Amino acid sequence: MEKEILEHGFTWNRRRFLSAMSLGVGSVALGSLLMPDLFGRGNSVGDEAFKPGIPHFAPRAKRVIYLFQNGAPSQQELFDYKPKLREMTGQEIPPSVRGNQRLTGMTANQSAFPLVGSFVDFKQYGNSRAWVSDLMPYTAKIVDELCIVRSMYTEAINHDPALTFLQTGSQQGNRPSMGAWLSYGLGNENKNLPNFTVLLSRGIGNGQGVYSKLWSNGFLDSVHQGVQFSKGEDPVLYLRDPDGMDRKARREMLDNLSELNEMAYKEMGDPEITAKIQQYEMAYRMQMAVPEVMDLSKEPDDIVKLYGPDCLVPGTFAANCLLARKLSENGVRFVQLYHQGWDQHGNLPFEIAKQAKDVDQASAALVIDLKQRGLLDETLVIWGGEFGRTSYTQGRLTQDNYGRDHHPRCFTIWMAGGGIKPGIVYGETDELGYNIIKDPVHVHDFQATVLNQLGLDHEKLIFKHLGRRYRLTDVSGKVVKDLIA
Amino acid sequence: MKIKFNVLGAQLLLVLNIFVAFLLLFENKLVVPAWLQPAGRMHPLVLHFPIVILVMAMFLEFFRSRSNSFYLQASHYLLLLGALLAGITVIMGLLLSKEEGYAGDTLFWHKWTGIAIFFISSFIYFIRNTQWYSAPAAKAGAVVTVLVVIISGHYGASLTHGENFLTEPLAVYYQPDPVAFDQALVFDHVVKPILEKKCTGCHNADKLKGELMLTDSASIVKGGKSGKLFIAGDPDMSLLLQRVHLPLEDKKHMPPAGKAQLTEPEIALLTAWIKTGTTLFSAKVSELPEHDSLRMAAAGFLQPAQPAEEKYDFSAADEKTINALSTDYRTILPLAKESPALAVNIYNREEWSGKQLEELAPLKKQVVALNLNKLPVKDGDLKSISQFQSLRHVYLNFTDITAAGLKELSILPHLQTLAVSGTKISYNDLKAQLPALKSLKSIAIWNTPITPQEAQELKKANTGITFIEGFKDDGTNPLKLNLPEVKNKSMVFTQSTQLQLSHPIKGVDIRFTTDGTEPDSTTSFLFDGKTELKENTYIKAKAYKEGWYASDVAEFYFLKCSIKPDSTHLLYKLNSVHQAEGAKSYFDNKLGVIGANNPAWANNWTGVRHTDMGLLCYFNNPATISSVGLHYMLEEVTGIYPPGSLQVWGGESEEQLKLLASLRPPPPPKGGKPSLETVEVSFKPHKVSCLKIVAVPQTNEKGDRRLLLVDEMYLN
Repeated sequence: MEKEILEHGFTWNRRRFLSAMSLGVGSVALGSLLMPDLFGRGNSVGDEAFKPGIPHFAPRAKRVIYLFQNGAPSQQELFDYKPKLREMTGQEIPPSVRGNQRLTGMTANQSAFPLVGSFVDFKQYGNSRAWVSDLMPYTAKIVDELCIVRSMYTEAINHDPALTFLQTGSQQGNRPSMGAWLSYGLGNENKNLPNFTVLLSRGIGNGQGVYSKLWSNGFLDSVHQGVQFSKGEDPVLYLRDPDGMDRKARREMLDNLSELNEMAYKEMGDPEITAKIQQYEMAYRMQMAVPEVMDLSKEPDDIVKLYGPDCLVPGTFAANCLLARKLSENGVRFVQLYHQGWDQHGNLPFEIAKQAKDVDQASAALVIDLKQRGLLDETLVIWGGEFGRTSYTQGRLTQDNYGRDHHPRCFTIWMAGGGIKPGIVYGETDELGYNIIKDPVHVHDFQATVLNQLGLDHEKLIFKHLGRRYRLTDVSGKVVKDLIA
Repeated sequence: MKIKFNVLGAQLLLVLNIFVAFLLLFENKLVVPAWLQPAGRMHPLVLHFPIVILVMAMFLEFFRSRSNSFYLQASHYLLLLGALLAGITVIMGLLLSKEEGYAGDTLFWHKWTGIAIFFISSFIYFIRNTQWYSAPAAKAGAVVTVLVVIISGHYGASLTHGENFLTEPLAVYYQPDPVAFDQALVFDHVVKPILEKKCTGCHNADKLKGELMLTDSASIVKGGKSGKLFIAGDPDMSLLLQRVHLPLEDKKHMPPAGKAQLTEPEIALLTAWIKTGTTLFSAKVSELPEHDSLRMAAAGFLQPAQPAEEKYDFSAADEKTINALSTDYRTILPLAKESPALAVNIYNREEWSGKQLEELAPLKKQVVALNLNKLPVKDGDLKSISQFQSLRHVYLNFTDITAAGLKELSILPHLQTLAVSGTKISYNDLKAQLPALKSLKSIAIWNTPITPQEAQELKKANTGITFIEGFKDDGTNPLKLNLPEVKNKSMVFTQSTQLQLSHPIKGVDIRFTTDGTEPDSTTSFLFDGKTELKENTYIKAKAYKEGWYASDVAEFYFLKCSIKPDSTHLLYKLNSVHQAEGAKSYFDNKLGVIGANNPAWANNWTGVRHTDMGLLCYFNNPATISSVGLHYMLEEVTGIYPPGSLQVWGGESEEQLKLLASLRPPPPPKGGKPSLETVEVSFKPHKVSCLKIVAVPQTNEKGDRRLLLVDEMYLN
């Protein structure tokens, strides 16, 4: 009997099973406490690792200055030395070289595509023995600081899409610009200046427009938008207090306004309202900081000699380079310059010489100037356009004049500082400078590399918008390790 | 009592089963908070209990007997206890596996075998009282469970102690760590491993075949019975390579037939190595020329150079402290996510005081970079800098520090980079302080009193430090001054205007002429701000300064327009791209600039080609007019030409216009530079209420019309 009772005790019945089950359900509830994402709470995969405002890993560079050469400078006349192309001047480009490259509307109806070599000579410079054309004498002197990439390529063939692609990672626009992404990823270094500033200048060459969409914050918070600094008395529009308003009155007005805004935020929860409060506050601090940054009068004489006398003429590329250094030195994460006028479809020899003269001395000066302040190590300087130019001429080829059309298959940029390997020439194009034959670097690879230098993993710097996660590099891009020091 | 305990245990086991199943189902969403992690880490401690107890239970189960109630109870409770402990261990293990550093096949097998133990033992526990649970089934279950326990235990041990924990003592060959590319030596890390793999088996101190030893550099140089192995730099004469290249059948071929042979790449590496010549044993791979075949081959198997991320020996500061100390003018940023190191930047001259450093005391361990550029930092302010013992990078450009401030820095043990550009730090200051800065790698000394010769001395005395000197103008490469500018608000005036020339660079002399001749540095007017312009004036100006080349000539037209019409009306259409402000453009005091072929910049230019340029001007009160002028652009290369003819009509109203004057300007000289020009017609003073001005574009040789661009007109 005792055994039966014992066995009964050991046997399961429905009541026991159900009561145990209820505990089981309880255990599930307990376990669910460890799974914050179980019911779709939070942003799930990938996002948990990302906290905007802090680099993912120790950065090599803290800031970027991007000297954008808008209109696409011809690599054949500046950095990509092609003696063979010169030899073959006047000959038709071999179909094997041209391949199935689509043409722009400007040369699509051209009956012949005669090759044309550079009108200007090249020499080798520095320990790196890099070839630089005689149009860039100052840049030639600093080649040992530069990483010249001759094998950049892009997907777009016209200015606007190509420019938009390089800056936002997409040809169509409406995405955040590189500077906005960096602002989002790295946060402010100096809370008295915007994180992302834009400076425009233009040469006398054939120009292409730049539009504010290029420094857009896209779907990111609007505090990350690029702020344009213009020449003249009001570098930042609407920053100055109107007559009759002093700083105290402004302060009171802002305090009251932000109270109202806070109330509106509590009611509606729109993050744009907090962005607005922040922007007003920053504008208030900028009223102090901007005049100090814009003041070039305290620059030593050596600096004027270094950048060239134009650096004191507001609105020139040289002045913008000097300003870029000052902004960067003051903790602005991304200073974007655009120099217009590089679109040499015709009259190339004349125009490119002028364009090169506009930018050569000041670009080199910027690198030297950052270095002598010990800032080059943590500042990445980038120089380049949106695509390259064709090896054949656009329009008529005469004794001393020719033009070049858009060419997405290869172009040259250079970078300096910011943990990029100095004194190297990377990538190679064929003898006619038309196709890349070694180490191609896609625009997304370039973007990934830039982000990497700033301590950001381009695959983790994401933002969820309209149900999908976006990156600067879209869905591709590899960090080019060979470029990293 | 016993029964109660049993019921409770059985229920708990069922609960555990459900719980584990649930955790497994949603394992990828599992996030273990820090406070729970210690529970996970107790897994290696607890796991020993279920192992022992389950093995015991299974032993009893194997020799299962229903007859003895003590035996029955013992086995029952042991199994229950073992299964429960197995469940707890599994849960702990799952928690632990979420921590960093656990991944891979070993974990996979350990995890699933461990889970299997739990489920199998639970299963056996629940079914062991059913009728069909026979002795053979019990035996099989017991054997399986024990086997799985052993397997799982083995994988677990591998996880904790490493893959080769068991076999490690048996491993005779020591595998060195892969060497980073930039540290690798050609011989030690490229050549020697080949020799060790293929040669030293017979050519070592113990074996010495052919009296040859290949284990160290000295004996390699010495060679063996047949003589020296090679002449450095000449692979063709090398005995070593000769033996290697002999046919395999040859008795002297090395390595001997039957032993592992050298591969082609290995032979190529040896050849390239001998070729390097004098630095056979000391050369670094990274010192070889970039396209050297040896370098490229070595790069293939050596670790790429990776800048080691610095490890810090302090822990992160409290986020609250950081936030509390962050202000609008003092930014405190972590170097990276999960990095304890902080970088501090301070801005705004007005807000600066030494307190801003002192206040950072709570973060003294964590601050590794400090940026005080352009602040009025005094030596005294740096007193508190010595507390930041972790500082690596300090920026003091354009501060007021002197030798005393520098001395404060010398106590910083890790200081690597220092920037003192634009300070008063002198050669002697650095000479005295640099030896104390043991970790210093680079220092920026641009724009200090240190001369190039002194910098040279410093470099010689401190070879480990990079001195960044920067740009100093030595006057040997003078630059050309840029153009003088006009500061007048408008270059069109009614009666008179004061000429305002300026130049962006201080201390420049501006000399100018008004007669169209080239200005020179001695005889032309020196601009002093007192020149009054009363007539149309064509100014040519040049800038001069000591140490600079003179500027190019700047040209400006000052136009006098004493009479302005009250309204204007265009007679013909303008070019679509050269619209400017339409009829208003001609008297708006705004002049255009050269370069109007680009529509985007052609803001002030009105243009025509296929029509005439015709303008009707109306005056509310009749005006006496004696001349009419046009300001136009000439740019031959882009086909912009002066007007071919100019006619002026006047009268009291539109219907009564009389021709007052007409002019055919002479064609411009060929091949001229782009310029801005004026053309003017004069006539007897005439009182008009309406004026008609017609400019007709030129025609070329073929009879086609040329582009005419006009930005302003003036009436006197």
